[in-house]
Amino acid sequence: MSGDLLTIITKQPYGSEDAYAGMRLSLGIAVSGLIAGSAVLLMGDGTLNAVASQRSEVLGMPSNLEALQDLMDMDVPVYCVEEDLRARAGIVETLDGVTMLGIEEVGNLVSRFHMVTTF
Amino acid sequence: MGTLTILIRSGSMMNMDANVAVELANAALDKGHGVKIFCYGEGVTLAKEGQDPRSFPNIEEEMAKLISRGAEVVICSTCSTARGMKMGEEMEGATVGSLTNDLSRFISESDRLVTLAR
Repeated sequence: MSGDLLTIITKQPYGSEDAYAGMRLSLGIAVSGLIAGSAVLLMGDGTLNAVASQRSEVLGMPSNLEALQDLMDMDVPVYCVEEDLRARAGIVETLDGVTMLGIEEVGNLVSRFHMVTTF
Repeated sequence: MGTLTILIRSGSMMNMDANVAVELANAALDKGHGVKIFCYGEGVTLAKEGQDPRSFPNIEEEMAKLISRGAEVVICSTCSTARGMKMGEEMEGATVGSLTNDLSRFISESDRLVTLAR
């Protein structure tokens, strides 16, 4: 195995397939056995994907929350920029297992990865 | 020489991302680098056979030139199936593949990854 990939998700859940597609991409990489590591970073509007109370069934769309859970079930770390989430949703419950980090920690996280992609 | 993977998520006629991908790939090939293109989401339309734009550049033709120059092009099976694109509708030289087998291999074999999307 070689290399690793950080998938940064900046798009909101629903309204476009971007966030879901990014999560699925990260999962596919994680289970490939070809890449040493895969992780997801939620930033900007993408932090809303971690909100526990979202109800995708209202829209008849696949659940981004379940997609995040699928990642963590496969030991893919999911990080969320706390300031970005608080700015958009205030104090809200997030999916268990999502790691909150400060915006000042993003640079260090990104620098740890061989490759970075954005959704 | 290195290897560049381009992850393209915009469709062939949505915006100029496809044109940028082609120019970027040609520039890398000109310098002797390897190029791999993974078509994801709407990006699968870049490698659909039979494109016939009347007023815009034909991305299929440009992709065919890239393939003839050694670029490897894979389109996401799940994405193409979701869009009603059947097996055999991909352009000659492109292959239908997956995130798990192909994008992962591309990344493991590449020095740089560029994502094009809006």
